[in-house]
Amino acid sequence: MRTTLAYVMNWEPPDSNGGVSRRSLLAATAAGVTVSTSGCMDLVQGTIGQDNSGQLSLSITTVPADGDREGVQLARALAENLEAVGIDVSFDMRSPLEFHRAILLDHDFDLYVGRHPGGIDPDFLYDALHSAYATESGWQNPFGFARIGFDELLERQRSTDGDERREAVAELLRQLTREYPYPFVPICFPDEFRTVRPDRFEGWDARHLGTRLGYLGLEPRDDATELTVAGTDSRPSRNLNPLAAAYRGRGTIVDLLYDSLVTPAYGDDGGEYRLWLAEDLDWDDASVTVTLREDCRFHNGDALTAKDVAFTYQFLADTALGRADVPSPSPRYRGRAAAVTNVERHDERTLTLTTKAGRAASERALTVPILPRDVWWSQVEDATDQNQSISQGTWDVVTGDVPAIGSGPFELEDRSEGETVTLTRFEDHFTLREDDLPGPTVDRLRLTIDPGSLAAIETVQSGSADATMSSLETHALDQAREYENVELLESPSRSFYHVGFNVRHAPFSNPHFRRIVARLLDKARLVEDVFDGNATPTAVPVTDEWVPDDLAWNGEDPVAPFLGSDGELDVEAARTKFESAGYQYDSGGNLLARY
Amino acid sequence: MLAQLLAQVAAVVGVLLAISIGVFVGQSRLSTTRVEWRSRVRDAAPIAVVLVLVLLFNRTARETLPSLSWSIGWNLTSTFYEIEGQTVLLFQEYATPELTAYFSYVYVYGYVFVLIFPVVAYFALSDTRPLRELLTAYTLNYTLGLLCYVLVIAYGPRNWIPDLVETTMLYNQYPQYQELTGEVNHNTNVFPSLHTSLSATVAMFAYRTRDVYPKWVPVATLLAASVAVSTMYLAIHWAIDVTAGLCLGAISVVLSRRLVGRWSLSEEFDDWWPSLRRE
Repeated sequence: MRTTLAYVMNWEPPDSNGGVSRRSLLAATAAGVTVSTSGCMDLVQGTIGQDNSGQLSLSITTVPADGDREGVQLARALAENLEAVGIDVSFDMRSPLEFHRAILLDHDFDLYVGRHPGGIDPDFLYDALHSAYATESGWQNPFGFARIGFDELLERQRSTDGDERREAVAELLRQLTREYPYPFVPICFPDEFRTVRPDRFEGWDARHLGTRLGYLGLEPRDDATELTVAGTDSRPSRNLNPLAAAYRGRGTIVDLLYDSLVTPAYGDDGGEYRLWLAEDLDWDDASVTVTLREDCRFHNGDALTAKDVAFTYQFLADTALGRADVPSPSPRYRGRAAAVTNVERHDERTLTLTTKAGRAASERALTVPILPRDVWWSQVEDATDQNQSISQGTWDVVTGDVPAIGSGPFELEDRSEGETVTLTRFEDHFTLREDDLPGPTVDRLRLTIDPGSLAAIETVQSGSADATMSSLETHALDQAREYENVELLESPSRSFYHVGFNVRHAPFSNPHFRRIVARLLDKARLVEDVFDGNATPTAVPVTDEWVPDDLAWNGEDPVAPFLGSDGELDVEAARTKFESAGYQYDSGGNLLARY
Repeated sequence: MLAQLLAQVAAVVGVLLAISIGVFVGQSRLSTTRVEWRSRVRDAAPIAVVLVLVLLFNRTARETLPSLSWSIGWNLTSTFYEIEGQTVLLFQEYATPELTAYFSYVYVYGYVFVLIFPVVAYFALSDTRPLRELLTAYTLNYTLGLLCYVLVIAYGPRNWIPDLVETTMLYNQYPQYQELTGEVNHNTNVFPSLHTSLSATVAMFAYRTRDVYPKWVPVATLLAASVAVSTMYLAIHWAIDVTAGLCLGAISVVLSRRLVGRWSLSEEFDDWWPSLRRE
């Protein structure tokens, strides 16, 4: 039997034809927006009668300190410097959920300050920056970035391996920082710390606690049967849809409910990934033949077969399953799954995935959660039967709270909004049969939601939880160090703070403008002031091993050095930059919105 | 942890109530209450039921209203900040650990006490009007406050300038209290400060009943002022929220005075079924 993903294959990177037409569409939209904005400005001017109301106004979207105490400080620091150069700044403070809705789904922002989940592999930039995704909702290209020539660089790093790929990534980063100024400015990688209690479980440091493996293979002491972790993100208690972009942060809980073919291992055992649902991978030039482990089941008792794997890749490419006029790709995992162009099923346990990528990016494509075909098929049927309009990334199937039925090491027992998520061990999980794999060692895993890092540390310290699942905010680190009965555990960090620009609209559609705004950030100083030094400033969004020497942090930003010194902005120099980029100031020193 | 905290609050407030009933209410009022409690309960029951319903509605609405607010409300955090700037930082200048402890306890225990004690004290009076007016004023505070919460989305100073209020921020010093307040309210609900409006309501009632409870006036005033200041000192509210809270408190007191008696359900009850009144 053969399952061909015809419309998945239809998708090709935009060549000169497709690209240009789509881009001209974008340009037309941008022009329309510009015109309507300036009309609006006139109106405002006429109504309020201000003589200088042509001042450029920007709104910074960010989350409050309850969600991210460091982020709001970065946002305020940036706002201060934007105001110093004559821009009127307002804030759009949103809860983490509303923040992600605005940025990822609605693209309703000027610029934002937040945390990007980053990637274990630089291929995440493909999702983040490919022009084919500029109009889609989800983690793929929320900026609306599209530049001729840049997509080829993304394709090149995706299709190569080894040294060639390293060079391709380096070139990509150079172009991104020099020729095609950033649609987003990375600020720093915050150190990732968690507190753990060693008295009930051992082996905390064996695997990364930001991944599913971190909660498997822990060794209980004194017959402990329940593992409790304290989190500061309440979203898993409200919705566990693995595809719901606005509800997912790291997605660790979802990763415990769902399995993928391979699992990120952070080099714990040598490689970046280790085999998970796949028992064996047989790599060929442009394909990989996957053999699934024997007798895998979903939590509802159904067998997990090659059919479900094939379905998953088809579904991620088009969550409407062909029922809409155009494909409706998933708002999560879309970019990585796109590396798979065809799936051929051989029998219940084996299938061949054809990939349009090198080994590294292909492996990354194998980290998507495998979804039960029957469950999701009926979700789509229900939604379309009710005549729901299928809007990509925002319709019910990809944002609603679908039944959390995966095949992962834990299954959902219970949930109470804003308070707890309780998982129980899935007795049929393959890790319980395979000796060499870390599996669920407890009957029950409970996530309790605390309002902040300090409260989460209290919960661990008082013995009500065994570890903090969310990484700690910097301000809480000193408190965590003071307690003697908890350990502070550091893990490699790949998520970074950044300023994201909406390049669909003026003024951020102008690369000169973006470049100057990037230079208003004194990253080294912010790391000291906001993070107490518990972060690494960076010019590029990838971790050390991928950074070419010429882009490495050398005491200052090698790409966009701060326009000033010791945290003090050189206002005159910055204003001159704006002027030489064609911007004008009125007599009151306000930057004018005409562009 | 939450259960433990609730027990703690109940114990502390229980002790405070016992003491203040002895000091302010006195033995003779308690004796008459023992005789008259049935008719007083009947008088106050209608408005008490309304208040309980409003509180229950508040509780369920806590989960659903934030999303409604996000779709129809105004997001005003930075507007507030632009208007009042760093006014709340004024209190930071006088911060000491003792003061932080005082305001934290006032914010949690003092507030609960200041709301409950007048209910007891006015129940101990033969004239039930103060009690009915007080319960009406509480109901108005919650209802009008909830309406504002739907219309205005704003985060308090601790969410906006956490770095500047680090030393006095309630949840830095006592993170466990955040679990408690999180049970009662959502972090986008800061305008107006219900802590302020309800405490102010109590203080205004204390003034109006100064003839019966003269000693309660200075205590209520001090507590109400402390609660209002604590919300700013602990970086939970903006000065604007506190000002709005004072207004809301005043509006509720004035309205309750006009409303009570006008549509008095229990009196209509009496007119129609006078027999029920007889013991």
